[in-house]
Amino acid sequence: MDVPLSELATTAHVWDEQHLDLQAAADQVVEAPTSGFTAAVAGAAERFTTTWGRHLTDLAASAESHADGLRETAADLACTDGLVAEGGLALTLQLREIR
Amino acid sequence: MGVVITLPPEPRPVPPLDADPGRARAFAADLLAASAQVDDLGELAAGRARLGSWTGAAASAYHDAIRPTGRTADAMSLALRGVARRADQHADALEGLLDRRERLVGERDQLSAAVAGLRSRVDGAPAEQAPELEAACQDCAGRVRTYEADLDRWSTDLISEEEAMREAFARVLTLEQVERRYGGVPDPADEALDSLPGAGATPADVRTWWDGLTHEQQLALIAASPGSIGNRDGIPPWARAAANTVALDRDLADWEHLDDLGVITDDERQWLGNARAAQEAIDAIEERTDPVTRAPVPAQLYLYDPAAFGGDGAVAVAAGRLDTADDIAVTVPGFGTDGQSADFQAARVADLYEATRSVDGVGDVATMFWIGYDAPDNVPWEGEGWDGGGVAGEEMAAAGGERLADLLDGLRASRDGEPAHLTAIGHSYGSTTTGHAAHDHGVPVDDLVFVGSPGVGGDTDHVSDTGVDPDHVWAGANSRDPIADLSNHGWLHLESALGGTGLGDDPAEDDFGAQRFRAESTDRPVFLDVGEHSRYFEHDSESLYNLSQIVAGNYDAVLEAGPVTDPWWSGPQDPEWGRDPARHDTLDEP
Repeated sequence: MDVPLSELATTAHVWDEQHLDLQAAADQVVEAPTSGFTAAVAGAAERFTTTWGRHLTDLAASAESHADGLRETAADLACTDGLVAEGGLALTLQLREIR
Repeated sequence: MGVVITLPPEPRPVPPLDADPGRARAFAADLLAASAQVDDLGELAAGRARLGSWTGAAASAYHDAIRPTGRTADAMSLALRGVARRADQHADALEGLLDRRERLVGERDQLSAAVAGLRSRVDGAPAEQAPELEAACQDCAGRVRTYEADLDRWSTDLISEEEAMREAFARVLTLEQVERRYGGVPDPADEALDSLPGAGATPADVRTWWDGLTHEQQLALIAASPGSIGNRDGIPPWARAAANTVALDRDLADWEHLDDLGVITDDERQWLGNARAAQEAIDAIEERTDPVTRAPVPAQLYLYDPAAFGGDGAVAVAAGRLDTADDIAVTVPGFGTDGQSADFQAARVADLYEATRSVDGVGDVATMFWIGYDAPDNVPWEGEGWDGGGVAGEEMAAAGGERLADLLDGLRASRDGEPAHLTAIGHSYGSTTTGHAAHDHGVPVDDLVFVGSPGVGGDTDHVSDTGVDPDHVWAGANSRDPIADLSNHGWLHLESALGGTGLGDDPAEDDFGAQRFRAESTDRPVFLDVGEHSRYFEHDSESLYNLSQIVAGNYDAVLEAGPVTDPWWSGPQDPEWGRDPARHDTLDEP
């Protein structure tokens, strides 16, 4: 093991934060006001914001997927090394998604 | 054979244009803030989250998984940024088209009236008037043709602009399009960041670096790395404001999202409060109307750091344009100030802006409040810690003075062309901070003003200690303001007598040598009242009138007040105590 398990857990949390931030960005794009454009442009603007809201939500999901993947890997490696039994609660807590 | 009179045609009406450039700019701002968030993901995937030293099968799987995420994020950030920029340009174009439309409508109304007038003249006119009427009709017809050509050009320009904006949306609608256009494309911001001057660089060095970037790089930095330039002295105000606005919009979206989910931490909630206050400050200024142009007053977010000073926050917002104003004022508030005071301070500088713009002959003005130092404001009984006691000493003012001096140096270094006339106004404990900035570091100001001062720093005993021309050091002290009474008077120096407490000498006293101006309230109470301490920026007050004259450089109009004296046989004597104050209009209204 070249990186400590705690670093995997920390990085997973960082990806969790990115997930939340990207969800916020997705909402921001979806809610961006299109009423300032003329009627000839507003439709294109609305289509853009709706589509990009989905792109950003998918990107957020990727971030969350990386977080989950890291946590699973860390948990597997910890079990393999018998570390969960030794480290007990502290390690388990580190590997948990906080928000 | 008689003369044939050909009546000119009725000019076509101008089509309606239903658009709101302000809303289009808000759209662009939202996209730009979102792009900054996406850019952060790209950076993360390539940097902190990469775990490059991790090896093995699991590591390889992880690296293979995040690589495309990073690439996609980088491309999406560039695409979103591009659309945001185009939308901003579109907003500018809409504004121009609306202006042109207004002129066309006016022209059309005039021509319609002229055509109607000619019709009634021609109807029943005697034959001998025919040549003259025909000539008039020909002339009018020519003007109608010119108008019609202008109208056609306007319509064509509108259609072209709409087409261009639709195209901007359409060409990066799908991720495949985004990848084709931006996949693997280097971000101009990255190269610029590689040469970013270190923390110890002077504002002049930072300005040199900034000027050496391409416009593309400058815009990229604003979008992708607003934190690296938004609060950097030496960066031009327009760029700082643009970067800080991206950061503010991003933060509001982030923290409000977390708040909605119910997972926001206490620290984040405090930062969110500071961010909201900054937005409210901007809104408060933009709701004001310039007394000369009657246009909305522009606002610039010059400093934004919601987490500074342990969560108290740092913020500075200007009314007006710091880049081009002829007269600039920087106000430094005092005790009780933190990031959440922003909207309150915004009202003050907006009043000062309006009053200064109402001075006869004044040019462009910018007035900025600066909450850029850790002012004493927290008291333990509100669970905020204890730095409120710092108001009894100068330590926080001394630290703040260094920051203020840097800000003023940065403002000077960041402007092109003719230097602005620059005034620093310290109020309350902010005057102690301003005094320290001047004494300890030197400040590149034309005028230095202390209002409601409890002392300007223990080592500043005379105007000559400020480094500013003595004729341009001013003091405003309301005789009923007990805070202005806290400073040292005459031979009694409290900080000597009380082992370091007290904030220095009274700048309104004769020994100090400042130019004292009238600052009484017309409805002042009979005795000292702490409420008077907050009235120096009120419209129609003596103080705001005089402040506006100083900021405008209209020194002859400043109403002088006699200094406080401190005879050996009595306590301090204030000649303003018994004078009847007068009201002074400080706002030109229609």
